[in-house]
Amino acid sequence: MSGREFFGARYRQLGWELRSVKPRTAIRVNTHNIDAEALIKRLHAQGVELVKVPWLDAGYWVTRTRVSVGATVEYLLGLYSVQEAAAQLPASLFTSLNRKLVLDACAAPGGKTVQLANLMKNTGVIFALDVATRRLAALANHLERCHVRNVIACLLDATRASTLGLKFDRILLDLPCSGNFAGDSGWFKRRRLSDVKRNAAVQRAILAEAVRCLNDNGEIVYSTCSLEPEEDELNVDWAVKNLPLEVAEVNCYGGEGLTQVFGVELDNSVKLCRRIWPGETQGFFICKFRRVHHR
Amino acid sequence: MKVVSDFAQRFNVQVRFDKRLLVTRENRFFLVNQDVKRFLPVDFYYAGTYLGKVKGNRFFPSFELLALLAKQGAYSVTVNCKAAWLFICGRDVFESGILSTRGKPSRSGYVLVLNEYGECLGFGRFSRSANGVVVKNISDVGDFLRRER
Repeated sequence: MSGREFFGARYRQLGWELRSVKPRTAIRVNTHNIDAEALIKRLHAQGVELVKVPWLDAGYWVTRTRVSVGATVEYLLGLYSVQEAAAQLPASLFTSLNRKLVLDACAAPGGKTVQLANLMKNTGVIFALDVATRRLAALANHLERCHVRNVIACLLDATRASTLGLKFDRILLDLPCSGNFAGDSGWFKRRRLSDVKRNAAVQRAILAEAVRCLNDNGEIVYSTCSLEPEEDELNVDWAVKNLPLEVAEVNCYGGEGLTQVFGVELDNSVKLCRRIWPGETQGFFICKFRRVHHR
Repeated sequence: MKVVSDFAQRFNVQVRFDKRLLVTRENRFFLVNQDVKRFLPVDFYYAGTYLGKVKGNRFFPSFELLALLAKQGAYSVTVNCKAAWLFICGRDVFESGILSTRGKPSRSGYVLVLNEYGECLGFGRFSRSANGVVVKNISDVGDFLRRER
């Protein structure tokens, strides 16, 4: 059985039929640096046509362009970032970010770090961690380009975040994951279920460590671009049963999280998560957690 | 942080940073705010606003520092759209592309290059030749793409 058939059969069991998709290019306006209307006008003059993504505050689809949107003067000046539409959701789900102490535990290359800084209007502090210096260099370029001023970036494995000795108000866990086939033609050839299970274990370790660094009234947003339930709903189900966390309701684009996975019934609160099957966007999974005090 | 103020002076700008908020990491300089300073661990990679780095005896300013200098009235030329595009591709600026000049940069002195919106695209060396004014490109924001290669 080919990888495509194997994973396709799994998706069918989860209620989705595998098909070819082409996610649309999207940008996110760095509204701290420019007003969206002014940017649209400037890009329009260069032949870039944008249409607002209805479920995002500062996200726009690129409907037509004569230039590379990753190489315009406006891009190089940090007025916008090229960021997939679904990937713009996680950072937007926190309540009140102003002046908060925030942890971005797996930060590089920094698209969501910049988005957080933008939402925080450069107030408070973001700790951005990554495990590789090369990836931190890419993060640093992104921060410099977008005029971010409230970030401390450290070379540190997210599973050791508590060694910072801090309690964070908000924690973004955009976790290393198996990814998905949308926009990656070789995905089915490369991926095995063993990779998925290994990634899921790492994600649990990072999530457990994040809870150790979370303030009493803190929030964690957990996201992956994996379609595999081991990295998504099954990890959330494990978290609500083993960590002092509960799933918080979110009001955003996407379908409900699955509560029946390969014959296993999960905690009912898992349906509050958001699962996005690939289509206009890449595949994505998001869960917002709050700390509970009775466990 | 003399190297930063010396660099700024070449654009006729006196920079006054609160010394307590200037931090160094190996050969790189950062300006932080009070909040970032409060949480700054000993071992960090990047913090606050990156100002630039020293390599050998040379100072390489960040684009954040150049943007700060632009706000403080540094010597600069404002260029038209076409010249702006050529400049970020690493080319020099010729007189035909210059819309205005701020200050009186000396021959071979440094000038910032701004676009029509007053945004800083980089800097270069100001010179006059038989063909008119030229700004020799030293550094431009297109570098963000070149670094990724």
